[in-house]
Amino acid sequence: MMTPHYSPSSEDEEDKRLMALVAQGDDHALRQLVDRHHPRLVGYLKSEVGSQTTAEELAMEVFIRLHRAASRWRPEAKLSTYLIHIAHNLVLNEWRRKSRKPTSTLDSTPEPGDQSHKSARDVVELEESFDRAVNQLPIEHRTAIILLVQQDMPYEEIALAMKAPVSSVKTWIHRARTRLRELLKDHYENQ
Amino acid sequence: MSQHSPSNLEADLATHLGRSRSVKVSGFADRVVLAVHAYRRRQIIRWSSFATSMAACLVASLVYFNGPSEEYLIQQTQFLVRSDEASQLSALLGMADDLSMLSPVVDQNSLVVDVLNKTEI
Repeated sequence: MMTPHYSPSSEDEEDKRLMALVAQGDDHALRQLVDRHHPRLVGYLKSEVGSQTTAEELAMEVFIRLHRAASRWRPEAKLSTYLIHIAHNLVLNEWRRKSRKPTSTLDSTPEPGDQSHKSARDVVELEESFDRAVNQLPIEHRTAIILLVQQDMPYEEIALAMKAPVSSVKTWIHRARTRLRELLKDHYENQ
Repeated sequence: MSQHSPSNLEADLATHLGRSRSVKVSGFADRVVLAVHAYRRRQIIRWSSFATSMAACLVASLVYFNGPSEEYLIQQTQFLVRSDEASQLSALLGMADDLSMLSPVVDQNSLVVDVLNKTEI
């Protein structure tokens, strides 16, 4: 796999500095790193596993592994990409361990009849359909499309995070889009 | 069910996934630090337990391989018996040597005996 050209930004430099401190056992630096990176990590994991609690547990494990590897870590890519890579491996383990239970993101069910409620019901239906559709994607396809659409990661970074060639990532994303169109054809005309 | 334009699928997907793009959890960093501390403690306990076990194994192996096993004791006893017999024999031979060395002296009269013999009391 080709390693893309990586030019560190000031944020990456700060990550690098904090990682060096974490390697020396600096808890304050670890706190800073966690504060910087946990929101997106938990967000990604929640999209992968559905449950907020499981997402937080997995994110915790990611940071423990990061702490363990701090002394060996080399800044060859963004720290966020490295974190997503660890998280993706944990997600794969989690999926091997147990099958996923689908969850709904919206709890309230509107009363029928009212136009605004009808619209809200449509939104709920669409959300649930998206949840189901994304859940039905093969794991690699789902991870690739989540990292692209949700985390705004470029193909090269997704490839690094998933330890796969860029061409495979592009194929997975294309197939994910095609499959989503099929699964959501009831919501979208002219399929 | 309302129908959406296909071109909206991509936008709707982005909106759907984007809702959980960033999920900030209050106190998460503190929980991570506590978990890391707990992990360090577990590692210390694990290593000390491992080191203790290894030390016990080392002592046991030293005792087993160097200690007085039954066969080893028999060998030692036989060696001691053999060495005792040898020492007895050598003692006897040594005494014989002494006797042989002394024998000419015994055969000849000593100077004192000669003096006594010559002295008339």
